[in-house]
Amino acid sequence: MKHEALLWLLILVPAATGALALLLRSVRTILGAMCAGVGISVALGWYVAGKVLMSGPVSAGAEWLYLDALSAYNLGVMLLIYGLSSAYASVYFRVELREGHLTLKQARLFASLWCGALAAMTLVFISNNLGIMWVGIEATTLLTGFLICVHVTGESLEAMWKYILICSVGVAFAFMGTLLVGASAHGLGLRAPEVLLWTRLQAHAGSLNPACLKAAFIFLLVGYGTKAGLAPMHNWLPDAHSQAPAPVSAIFSGFMLNTALYCVMRYVPIVEAGTGNTGWGLRLLTGFGLISILVAAAFILFQHDLKRLLAYHSVEHIGIITLGVGLGGLGTFAALFHTLNHSLCKTLAFFAAGRLGQMFGTHDMRKLAGVMRVAPVWGMGLFGSLLALIGVAPFALFMSELQMLKAAVDKGAILALVLFLFGAGVVFVGALGHAIPLAWGKAASTVQPARAGTLETLLVVVPLVFLLVLGLWMPGPLQTALNAAADVIRHVSPALAGSPGGIMP
Amino acid sequence: MTDLILVLVVLTNLKLLGSSRLGASIRVVAAQGVMLGLLPVLAHVHELSLHFAALAVGTVALKGVVFPWLLFRALREAEVTREVEPYVAYITSILIGLAALAASFWLGGRLPVSTVEPSSLLVPSALFSILAGLFLIVARKRAVNQVLGFLVLENGIYTFGVGIVAETPFLVELGVLLDAFVAVFVMGIAVYHINREFDHIEVDRLDRLKG
Amino acid sequence: MNALSFIPLLLALILSPLLFGVINRTKALFAGRRGQPLLQTYYDLWKLLRKGAVYSRTTTWIFRAGPMVGLAAAWVAATLVPLGNFPALIAFPADFLLFAGLLGLMRFFTVVAALDTGSSFEGMGASREVFFSALTEPALFVVLATLARQTGQLSLSTMFEPVSGADWLHGGPVLALVIIALMIVLLAENARIPVDDPNTHLELTMIHEVMVLDHSGPDFAFILYAAALKLWMLGALVLSMVLPSSGGNPWLSLALVSGGMFGLAVVIGVIESVMARLRLLVVPQLLIGAGAVATVALILTLR
Repeated sequence: MKHEALLWLLILVPAATGALALLLRSVRTILGAMCAGVGISVALGWYVAGKVLMSGPVSAGAEWLYLDALSAYNLGVMLLIYGLSSAYASVYFRVELREGHLTLKQARLFASLWCGALAAMTLVFISNNLGIMWVGIEATTLLTGFLICVHVTGESLEAMWKYILICSVGVAFAFMGTLLVGASAHGLGLRAPEVLLWTRLQAHAGSLNPACLKAAFIFLLVGYGTKAGLAPMHNWLPDAHSQAPAPVSAIFSGFMLNTALYCVMRYVPIVEAGTGNTGWGLRLLTGFGLISILVAAAFILFQHDLKRLLAYHSVEHIGIITLGVGLGGLGTFAALFHTLNHSLCKTLAFFAAGRLGQMFGTHDMRKLAGVMRVAPVWGMGLFGSLLALIGVAPFALFMSELQMLKAAVDKGAILALVLFLFGAGVVFVGALGHAIPLAWGKAASTVQPARAGTLETLLVVVPLVFLLVLGLWMPGPLQTALNAAADVIRHVSPALAGSPGGIMP
Repeated sequence: MTDLILVLVVLTNLKLLGSSRLGASIRVVAAQGVMLGLLPVLAHVHELSLHFAALAVGTVALKGVVFPWLLFRALREAEVTREVEPYVAYITSILIGLAALAASFWLGGRLPVSTVEPSSLLVPSALFSILAGLFLIVARKRAVNQVLGFLVLENGIYTFGVGIVAETPFLVELGVLLDAFVAVFVMGIAVYHINREFDHIEVDRLDRLKG
Repeated sequence: MNALSFIPLLLALILSPLLFGVINRTKALFAGRRGQPLLQTYYDLWKLLRKGAVYSRTTTWIFRAGPMVGLAAAWVAATLVPLGNFPALIAFPADFLLFAGLLGLMRFFTVVAALDTGSSFEGMGASREVFFSALTEPALFVVLATLARQTGQLSLSTMFEPVSGADWLHGGPVLALVIIALMIVLLAENARIPVDDPNTHLELTMIHEVMVLDHSGPDFAFILYAAALKLWMLGALVLSMVLPSSGGNPWLSLALVSGGMFGLAVVIGVIESVMARLRLLVVPQLLIGAGAVATVALILTLR
C-alpha cells in the first residue's frame, strides 16, 4: 500500500512543481522551486527503486503502474541525471539572467516544461500498460519541443520543427507497433483493460501470434528508434542537441534517448519468447546498433560544432547500447552498465560545453581553443568527458565497452566485433583530433578567464570521480541491480521460468 | 456502411495528394476525421456502449472542429492559402498515391492481422492513409501541409486501431487523443513562430542546420 | 437474333439528336429563356444536308474523309452498345476493345482532318483534344476493366447488364466509383462543360468546336450526327449502371431507357448551367481524378 502511494507521488510531485512554476513571480524562486521539486522526486524515486531492486517488483492502480528491476534501474539513472541537470540549470540560467538573456516568461516556461518532461519520463518507466508508456513518450516529445526554443531564433525554430515533426511521425509508428502487439494477443481471451499490460503479455508471450509480433517489433524499433536517435533515423538529433540550451541538451542526450530505448528493451523479451527464442529481434537490434556506430563515426570526423559533435557521440553510444542488447548474455549487462556511464559522461560534457559556450560566445571548435587555461574547471570537465566518451582506459565507459567486446567474442559475432572496433577506432582518432586543440590550443585574447564556484566545481568533479571509480571497481549492489535488470530483458526471471509462456494460474 | 466510409477515406486521401489549396485540404482532413470518428460507432452498432459513444464524440469534436480551427488560425496568421511548387507535382502525387494504394491492398492482404471488424477494407485503407500521410510530409513544402500529413498518418493509425484492437482501454485512447491534440497545438504555435521569424512557412528554407 | 436486338441501334439512330435539344432546353430554362425547339438538331441536320460543301484549296482527301469515317465509326460502335435490358445487336467477348478502338478512330480522323486545314486554330484544338483524350482513355479502360472483373464478363452487353439492389449492397462503393468515373469520361469525351464549352464563340477557348470550324454542309451534318451518337452511346453505358432491372418486360424497358436517357440529358443540362468551364490547366487534374477514382474501384474489385 505504501509503495503504491509512492508510485503515484513520483508522477504527481514533478507535475505539481511544473504547475507551481507558472505562478511564481521571480526567476530565482522559480529555479529554486524547480530544484526542490526535482530533489524530492529524486529522493522518492531512489527510495522506491532501491526497494524494488532489493525485494522485487511492485505494482499499483490495478496493475497499471508497475516497477521491476529494469524500470527501477532506468528510473534511478534518469533521476540521477535529472538531479544533476537541475542543479546545473540553476547555475546556467543564473548566468543568462545576469547577462539579460532570460525573461520571467521564459523562466516560467522552462521550469514548467522541465518538470512536466520529468513527469512524462517517470510515467514511461512506471507504467505497465504499453499504451500509456507510448503516451508518456509522445508527451516527452511535445513538452521538450518548446525547451529547444526557450530562446526563439531561426535556428532553434528549425531544430524544434524538425524535432517535433520527425519524432511525432516516428513515435506514431511506435503506436502502430503497440497496436500490432495488442492484435497479436487476439484470441488469448484477455479482457480489455489487460490487453496491453506488459506483465500479462510477458506471461503469455509464448502463445502470441509470431508473424504479428514480428511486424510489430519492426514498427516499434523504427518508431522508438527514431526518438532514441538510432541511425538512419537520427537526423533530428544533432540539430535539436545543438540548438537547445545546455541543460536541455544534457537531458536530451543524457536520458531522453535512453527512455525511448528503454521502451524497445521492454518489448525484447516478449518478442524473443513470442518468436520462439530464435534471436530474430536481437539480430535486428545488432544491425541497427552497428549502423548507428558507423554513421556517427563518419560524422564525428568532420564536425566543427562542439554540441553537434557531442550529439553524434550520442548516436554512437546509443548504437553501442543497442548493440549490447542485441548481443545478449553479458552484452545485455554491459549495455545497461553503459547506459549509466554514457548518461553521466554525456551530461557532464554538455554541462561543460554550455558553460564554455557562454564564456566564448560560440560552439565552433575552430574558435573554442585553450579551454584549459581560460576555465580550468570546465575545461577539465570537457576534456575528461571527451576522453571518457571515446573509451580511454580507466574510465567506466572503457569497462562496459570491453565487456561488450567479450560478449561479442563469446557469441562468435566476429563481423559485429570487427565493425564495432572499426567504428570505435574512427571515433577515437576523430574525437581526439578535436579534443587536444580544444584543451591546449591558443585561446583568443578577448576571452576573459572565469572562476568557477563551489557548486560548479562539484558538478564537474563528482561525475568524473564517479566514472573513474566505476571503471576500476564495481560495487556489489550495483552489480546485483544490473544483473536483475538484465535478467528482465533476458527473460530468465525465476518467477516465470517455471511457466514458459504457459497458462496463467 | 463502414465500407463506404473507408472508400471515402481513400478518396479524401487522393484528393489531398492532388490539392494545392491549403484551406480546402484542411476541410478535407476535417471531414476525414469526422468520418473516422463515426467509424467505431458504426462498427459496433449492435453493442453500442458509453465507451464508444464517448470516444466518437471526442474524436469528432477534436478532429472535426478543434484541429481545423487551430490550423485555420495558423493559416490566417501566416497569410498563405496555397502550396507553391511542391517537391512532387500534384498529378505525379496522385499517380504515386494510386501505386501506394495498390501496395497497401497487397500488403493488407498479407499482414497476419485478424480484424475484429468484418470489413476487409479496413487494414488496406489504414495502411494507405499512413503512406499518404508520410508522402505529404515528405513531398510538400508548406509547414501546414506537413501538419496535415501528420494528421492523415495519425488517422491511418486510428483506423487500424479501430479495426484490430476493438478493446483498447479507454484511458489509453484518451491519452492518445490528448497527445494528438497537443501535437497539433504545438505545431500550430511553431508555424506561427516560424512565420514571424522567417516571413514565410516554407519548410525547405529551414536549411541552416546541416552536417 | 430477334427483332428486339435492333431496338438499341434504332433508338440510337433516331433519338440521339434529340439529346442536344433536351440539353439546350434545360439550359434555356435555367437562364429564364424559352430556348430553341426540342427538334432543333433535326432541323439543323436537314438544313445542312441540303447545302453544298465548301473545301479550301489547301486541303486534301483526308479533310473530306474525316467526317465520313467519323460517322461510320460511330455507327458501327452503336451496334455494340447495349441499352438498359436490351443487349446490343452484335456482342462477342472483348468487344469493348473494338468499341474503344472505334471511338479512337473517330477522334483520330477528326483530328487529322483538322490538321489538314493547316489553320493554327484548328491545330491548337487538335492538340488539346489529343491531350485530353489521352487522359480520358485510361480512365475508360480502367472502368471497363473494373466491370469486366466485377461481372466476370468480357462483352459490353453482359458487362453492362442492369444492376440489382443486391449488387448495390454487395459492391455499392465500386459501383458508385465507376459511375462517377464514367460520368466524367462522358462529359470529357463529348466536349461538355467542365472540360469544354460547346457554345463558346471564342476560338482560343474551344477544343472540339474549333477542330470542325472548316467543315460545312453535309460534312458538318455528319460530324453533328456522329457527336450525337457518341453522346447517346456513352450515356447508354452510364444509364445501364443506374437503371433498375425491368424484369424482362420489353415495354417497361423501353419506357425506362428512353425516360432515363432524357433524364441524363437534363442532368447534363443542369451541370452545364450551374458549373463554369474549368481552366485548361485544371482540366488534366479532373481527368486524372476520374482515372484515380476508376483505379480505386479497380483495386477494390481486385482484392
